[in-house]
Amino acid sequence: MSVFQSQMGRLSRVRFAWPMILMVLALSGIGLATIFSATAPLGQAGRTLVVKQMTWCGFGLVLMSVFLFFDYHGLERWAPWLYVAAVVLLIAAWGVGKVTAGSRRWLEIGFMRLQPSEFAKLAIVFMLARWLQAGPSGSGSALKELLVPAGLVVLPMVLVAIQPDLGTAGVIGLVAASMVVFGGVGRRAIAGGGAAIALALTLVFVARDWLLMEYQKKRLATYFNPDFDPLGAGYHIIQSQIAIGSGGAFGKGFLQGSQTQLMFLPVKHTDFIFSVLAEEWGFLGCLTVLALFTLLFMTGLAVARKARDPFGSLAAFGCTAMLFWHVTINVGMVTGLVPVVGVPLSFLSYGGSSILTSFMAVAVMVNVSMRRFS
Amino acid sequence: MPTLPRIRSVAEYYGPRSRWAAAVVLLVMAVLLGKLWHLQLVLGESYEEMSQKNRVRVVRLLPSRGRILDTTGRVLADNAPAFTLATVRADLEDPRQVVDVCGPLLGLAPEKMRKAVEQSSSVPRFLSYPLKRNLTLEEVSLVKSRTGGMKGLVLEVKSRRFYPLGQTLCHVIGILGEISAPELSRSSHMGYKSGDLLGKTGIEKQYEAYLKGVEGWEQIEIDAKGRQLSGKIAKQPESGADLMLTVDAALQQYIESIFIHRAGAVVVVDADNGHVLAMLSKPGFDLNLFSQAISRREWDELSRDPLHPFENRAIRGLYSPASTFKMVTAAAALAEHEVTEGHEFVCKGELELGGQVFRCWNRYGHGRVSLRKAIVESCDIYFYHLGLRLGVDRIARYASLFGLGRPTGLGLPQELPGLVPTSAWKLRTLGESWKDGETLNLAIGQGYLVATPIQIAMMTAAVANGGRLLKPSIVKRIQAGDGRILFDHAPVVQCTIPLSPEKMDLIKDALVGVVYDGKGTGRRCRITGIKVGGKTGTSQVIRHRQRTEEYTQVPYHERAHAIFVAYVDNLPKRIVVVVVVEHGGGGGKTAAPLARKIICKYYGLADPGEPEEVQESGSEH
Repeated sequence: MSVFQSQMGRLSRVRFAWPMILMVLALSGIGLATIFSATAPLGQAGRTLVVKQMTWCGFGLVLMSVFLFFDYHGLERWAPWLYVAAVVLLIAAWGVGKVTAGSRRWLEIGFMRLQPSEFAKLAIVFMLARWLQAGPSGSGSALKELLVPAGLVVLPMVLVAIQPDLGTAGVIGLVAASMVVFGGVGRRAIAGGGAAIALALTLVFVARDWLLMEYQKKRLATYFNPDFDPLGAGYHIIQSQIAIGSGGAFGKGFLQGSQTQLMFLPVKHTDFIFSVLAEEWGFLGCLTVLALFTLLFMTGLAVARKARDPFGSLAAFGCTAMLFWHVTINVGMVTGLVPVVGVPLSFLSYGGSSILTSFMAVAVMVNVSMRRFS
Repeated sequence: MPTLPRIRSVAEYYGPRSRWAAAVVLLVMAVLLGKLWHLQLVLGESYEEMSQKNRVRVVRLLPSRGRILDTTGRVLADNAPAFTLATVRADLEDPRQVVDVCGPLLGLAPEKMRKAVEQSSSVPRFLSYPLKRNLTLEEVSLVKSRTGGMKGLVLEVKSRRFYPLGQTLCHVIGILGEISAPELSRSSHMGYKSGDLLGKTGIEKQYEAYLKGVEGWEQIEIDAKGRQLSGKIAKQPESGADLMLTVDAALQQYIESIFIHRAGAVVVVDADNGHVLAMLSKPGFDLNLFSQAISRREWDELSRDPLHPFENRAIRGLYSPASTFKMVTAAAALAEHEVTEGHEFVCKGELELGGQVFRCWNRYGHGRVSLRKAIVESCDIYFYHLGLRLGVDRIARYASLFGLGRPTGLGLPQELPGLVPTSAWKLRTLGESWKDGETLNLAIGQGYLVATPIQIAMMTAAVANGGRLLKPSIVKRIQAGDGRILFDHAPVVQCTIPLSPEKMDLIKDALVGVVYDGKGTGRRCRITGIKVGGKTGTSQVIRHRQRTEEYTQVPYHERAHAIFVAYVDNLPKRIVVVVVVEHGGGGGKTAAPLARKIICKYYGLADPGEPEEVQESGSEH
């Protein structure tokens, strides 16, 4: 692609990018306002968190803009190295990471703390896109063709799971499975893969006593019966459901959520940010945010459909799937549909690594869409 | 024939798949919205009711902080309830009634009271805002009886620190303060929350982890009126461990009562196990000021005091050990065979070296001086000669064998190391080579050499116990709330001074002479019936002054510091006393009588008073 052509194509490309960027800005803005409300009872410390989150959003925007100048095919070439770097960082986090709430998932780099597992998700998406772009040999991949991609996914998944961070490990598995299905699999492969997953789950269930941490077992037990331990693990779900439910149709108003302001809700500016939103803005607020997310996913899938080549299509799809599973698991968790696993809500939850990863995912979609004609 | 997707167009292959995916996305979003619909619109009212009633709050139960006791079990730091009347904006129905009723009850002017109630809107409306802190018990019962039906008022009970002895041992015990932002981020994993108290200085800081305890939590249910319906303790807090100090509070209080000088320090240690029996730093402050809200004025007064009342001079005051250091020089010279018992030098009152004249404190000279006479009469010329024979670095080596130049490791925060100069040190920091004249100053404990009173005490204890340098300790025992002993002190010997017992006895005999000989400089510490060794020191603050001036004619800040060290030799429990009086003039005159009184008090002897034949002599060492 010559420089001249790139000049010619700029207008249409930028125009195409705007809707996605606007959706991202709207979601981040809602996130900042909700974090402000959620951290208001903390006083000055809360305001510091809002400023930090703003900084991360700004950093994400800059990173996104810079990334758009490069052709996404660079990702195809660099995918193996990104993947190796992600695995090395995960091992480093295990070795020298910072222990927060009993798990090692943070890596201290100078002034900031990074969560390598967040970036690992992106690296795995690119690596899988590179592997799957050749397409299946028949009407769908046979089981043995999936062994290599399965191995590529399981290694970082295990590294994340032993941190222990089951939520992120689960998201990695779901994103990978979505991509494999999207890339095309045969009936027998689906059956075989399903059997393998069922076997793995059974094994985990049988060996849960020494595989799962005490709090994870409690959370699973609580999922099936929230009243089982109302002050322990079930407390989160019950309080979150009360917060969401009491929001009603139009909510209690900004800064007026009694559940939020009285600090009934735990980790409310990170994993439970959606409960704060639901309490203060009601069903209308939830509808708005979920509609924005749905629009973003639809746009992402349209990009995957119209991409120039299989790699672009798979990469855009993988990024969409990543955001989709985050939203689904997080909202499902706070409403009590899925167990409490600690997955952030993209763009809304407080956290630099999550924000950067989400912005990068959208940047990949925009990048693929911009270069669909060249 | 299998067709590869590369041959087909991307849209053809991925288009249908992407539409399937879109369908899945819409379906899942619909499920999520359905759940939200159910929670918010169908069950919304009942959840609304629950959130109204739901005053099932999880409240932290703070543990009671461990107490600090003296060696006899007397309480030095305890916990007492502190009552605060606060208001919760969200529940406040009639602010005027609160102002009208509570103002007079608490003795607050209506204006002030109204302002406080208005201020409560500055915090989130569900949080409590304090109207008045530290209510007295009468006020508490008045408020309880008169404001029964009033909404939005809460009486909060918190535990605060209470120090029964007030000012006694203030530097050792230390103060509590609200956790600062950097401390919070450093120790968030230990369960501290913003607004928590933790030790800022002294024992309270050093042993924070022991004293703190483990917090519990309670589930309390409050009705719509804000009244507590039920409380269920889910986890009992565990109170912190009690700390028993080695300090004897009665002795400490006695020392405080007799230390009438403006500033200085006293350290009393047990020479055989390193227990600190008393540690005074003057001026001090009242610990109870800090456990209640200290007023701006009181704080300014204390922090601007030129005498720095917050400094613990016993571990942070740097003084030239002056002539008390002569026992180290003597030990070095004996151990290195540079001098023998009988060897004599002639003191003519001055010594010329490299064109400079070095004087003895006695300008008329001591005549022929042996080791014993040199220590007893504190002859400087004799020690100048020893200094020249030993050289700076050998003196420095013995000084560090006696524990100078590094913190003693007593276990109080921010202890200073002092300084033992060496020729390498001077080259490194000042860029100059060492001069012989400076060796002379070092030999008599002046010049660059500085030490803290606790270091001087351990140095003296090493002589008194025959050559063992002990690590001092101030905590004797730590006992957990459930009775387990977490720590029990055992003496730690840091090093042994390589000096034969006979030679050590030579020095000890001379130190006893300081107190009991007719011309001894420590005569004012004489106690008949027991055997006391001692050494005077006069730590010069400015370099040179005309000797003829009376000490009362010198401005306060230019007067020399008076130092006296004493030890008791022939009793089963041997104690060491170090007295430093800042700008107190001569050590023998100002500091020695204090040491005598302390020793008498400790052993329960009658104070014999000053010996009568003592003549006034201007500036003795």
